[in-house]
Amino acid sequence: MGIAISNLSVRYGAETVISGLSLDIPQGCFFTLLGPSGCGKTTLLRTIAGFAPASGGQIRFGGRDVTELPPHKRAIGMVFQDYALFPDKTVADNVAYGLRARGEKGEGVERKVKAALERVGLGHLLSRHPAALSGGQRQRVALARALVIKPTVLLMDEPLSNLDAKLRVQIRETIIELQREANITTVFVTHDQEEALSMSDLIGVMNKGKVEQLGTPQQIYATPRTGYVADFVGAANRTEVAVRSTSAGIVELEVAGSRLLATDALEGPAEHGILVLRPEDLKISSAPAAGLQSLPAIIRGRQYLGARTSYSVECAGGLALNAELHGAGHDAFLPGASVYLGFDPAAARVIRS
Amino acid sequence: MNPSLLRSPWPWFSALALALLGVFVVYPLLYIFTASFFGDGGSGWVQLMHDGRSLAAICNTLVLACVVTLCSTLIGVPLAYVSARFRFRGKLLITLLPLITLVIPEVVTAQTWLMILGNNGVITRFLKGHGIFLPSFYGWFGLITSMSFIYYTYVYIGTVAAIGKFDAQLEEAAQSLGTAPVRSRFHVMLPVIRPAILASALLVFTMVVGNFAISTILGHNVPLLSVAIYQAAVAEGASNLTMQSTLASTSVLIVMGLLFVNRRIIARGRYEIVQGRGAKPQPLKGGQGVVVSAAAGFVVAISLLPLLTIAVGAFTLSRGPVMRWGEWTLDNMARVFITAPGPLVNSILYAGIATLISVAFSTLVSYLVVKKPNLVTPLIDYVSAIPLALSGTVLGVGLLASFNGGFLSLTGTSTIIVLAYVIRRMPFGMRNGQAILHNIPNSIEEASISLGSPPFRTFLRVVLPMMLPAVASAAILTWTTTVSELSASLLVYSGGRETLPIQIFRLIDSGLMAYASAYGLVLVAVILLPVVIATTVFKVDLFGSK
Repeated sequence: MGIAISNLSVRYGAETVISGLSLDIPQGCFFTLLGPSGCGKTTLLRTIAGFAPASGGQIRFGGRDVTELPPHKRAIGMVFQDYALFPDKTVADNVAYGLRARGEKGEGVERKVKAALERVGLGHLLSRHPAALSGGQRQRVALARALVIKPTVLLMDEPLSNLDAKLRVQIRETIIELQREANITTVFVTHDQEEALSMSDLIGVMNKGKVEQLGTPQQIYATPRTGYVADFVGAANRTEVAVRSTSAGIVELEVAGSRLLATDALEGPAEHGILVLRPEDLKISSAPAAGLQSLPAIIRGRQYLGARTSYSVECAGGLALNAELHGAGHDAFLPGASVYLGFDPAAARVIRS
Repeated sequence: MNPSLLRSPWPWFSALALALLGVFVVYPLLYIFTASFFGDGGSGWVQLMHDGRSLAAICNTLVLACVVTLCSTLIGVPLAYVSARFRFRGKLLITLLPLITLVIPEVVTAQTWLMILGNNGVITRFLKGHGIFLPSFYGWFGLITSMSFIYYTYVYIGTVAAIGKFDAQLEEAAQSLGTAPVRSRFHVMLPVIRPAILASALLVFTMVVGNFAISTILGHNVPLLSVAIYQAAVAEGASNLTMQSTLASTSVLIVMGLLFVNRRIIARGRYEIVQGRGAKPQPLKGGQGVVVSAAAGFVVAISLLPLLTIAVGAFTLSRGPVMRWGEWTLDNMARVFITAPGPLVNSILYAGIATLISVAFSTLVSYLVVKKPNLVTPLIDYVSAIPLALSGTVLGVGLLASFNGGFLSLTGTSTIIVLAYVIRRMPFGMRNGQAILHNIPNSIEEASISLGSPPFRTFLRVVLPMMLPAVASAAILTWTTTVSELSASLLVYSGGRETLPIQIFRLIDSGLMAYASAYGLVLVAVILLPVVIATTVFKVDLFGSK
């Protein structure tokens, strides 16, 4: 079942957390709400779950209006950041809890519980208590518990943020596999852009209670529509520029005394814009590179990061940019060196300021 | 309010809880406040100004409270310091102190002091035989001695906890900066533990103001506030509603004033200790060790004395008020169990019911306050703390006056006794319940609800089992304190509904110490039995969860 949200607003007392938000999440989609803390993503998730009451608008699961339905009747599966396993119940009883709440009894429950736990690789820990499990195991149990009831939608609130880096990658894969297998519409809340980019079918980047941009991971990363999205997803150099002319999707712009070409993402006529340049799209060379537009620059700082080197570079006119080099010789330039900074107009985008 | 909220059970529970608190806590309190202003002979406050004996009672109570608080602090703080920082012989006994105060009711303690140092006391008579006449134990001397040796335990417990949390690295830091060890202790440790000492001293002060059992048994010619309230309430013929209300209001105002001082001044002085690492207790050897062991042993021995005295007294033959020490009998015990078992049965019944109600109510209401806050829950939280400011005597007077006829007539029923028990224990049950609930994350409940379990079922299936160990320990503490409750029940009980403490009180009043000892011993057993069963069989951690 898909999730359709129309004109939703959520208020806590006098404070409006979400106002007039509309969103369509198709059936089977892995949808991620991405944003910093306080952007309203968790509130939106809790409103979908029914824990935070909506003060206006509508939420529908597959056409059925659930806005006024209490959470225990919404048939949701939910996974929490702190696992929220029942500490006094065994792993098997935790997983069986939702089935029993639905009135299921006996052998059927046992069979489903065992299958669900085997699916997450914990078939041997049925009689353990949560306290005797590692963090990764706990989150797998929580996942099994949420999925065994065959919910209509799966809601996950930062489920990976209490785990260490390696486990995170492992559980990510488990989640994706299970989600594809059950073909269940999933809303996943995170502040981690890497999680969002690697797991999602669709990402909604949230800012101040609004979805600022909705798109596939590729769209979000490659074509951010606002400076906020560009900066939050991946690193970006953002510079205020004056627009000289636009034609056929190409903008001619002026920045720090130089005239440059960039891709037009202004969405209409404008005199000013923001030039967005990803550090990895900038090339550094000792002579102007062929086929790229080049700016003379001086290396100001350098951080060697193993597989890559990050440089802070100052161009003519005082324009400061970050550039990241990969591949052979990425650490070849030293602070103080005079270099040329080159980039392809296709990789530079001008967005509305 | 959002209409979907009204469909959940919680707002209804909140309304019910607030209504109950309004009727049984706020109404009696307002009743005595108003009664103090509008009486037959004009305002009680004007009458009070012309009543020398009542004014003396207020004065004496404040003086007594100051002296006992000082003595208790002087015993409790050093004892806490040596037991937190040193190891010595007999230290285990000191750690049992909280248990001792828990199991020995004040009425029994007062009784044993009389049996030892009273007019017919063992030591008094022994010395009299040798021509030495002791001053009367009744009055100031007896009051101060017996109260100090009970209430120092509260200072001890509070201070031990504070020293345990004190970060020894602070002391080491002071020494590394060039301060001598003794100086560093005074300059660094004292300011940090001072709020805890002050808070427990204040607790002692309030307990002395509210104390009834010892005040009335040992007070004799010293008029005291709680005794004066009691006498005004039960005076033969015409009990004086105006005067009892005025005196009760005075007691409430004194305690409220102290609670205010605590919140405003002491609580502000609390320091945040980040990541404390307690000091390891150092062994004390040689002369120092002997002195400390002896001093600590002395204090503990006096605390244990009541238990020993009633154990012997319960099996000692007596002729009226005269104890025939050395001659043994089972008659006293036979009276408790066979001839007059009423008090034992009543105590178990009333305290049992009160414990069930109290635990159920405070568990549910603290759940509302912590997990389902709405517009009225802060009010519930506030009102349920009011009984802290009511001594047993004041509560008894309030209940007696408010529910004697009128819209709810409870006088002369068992209900009013149970009610008094429940109200007195409620603030403690609430505090305990809230402490546990703050440790249960909301996500646990939401997980259960998301799995399809409705809110109230979630409370029963998920939250309650998690609260159970702490609820069990709260139930036991409630039991121990209600079984030994005297001051409120003494005012509201009626003939045939005597409880063990009431019976003991009446026997002491008649000077029948042997019978009183037997009832006292059984009372201690009734208190102790659930404690022993809980800690040994069910492994309930009685003190950890507080």
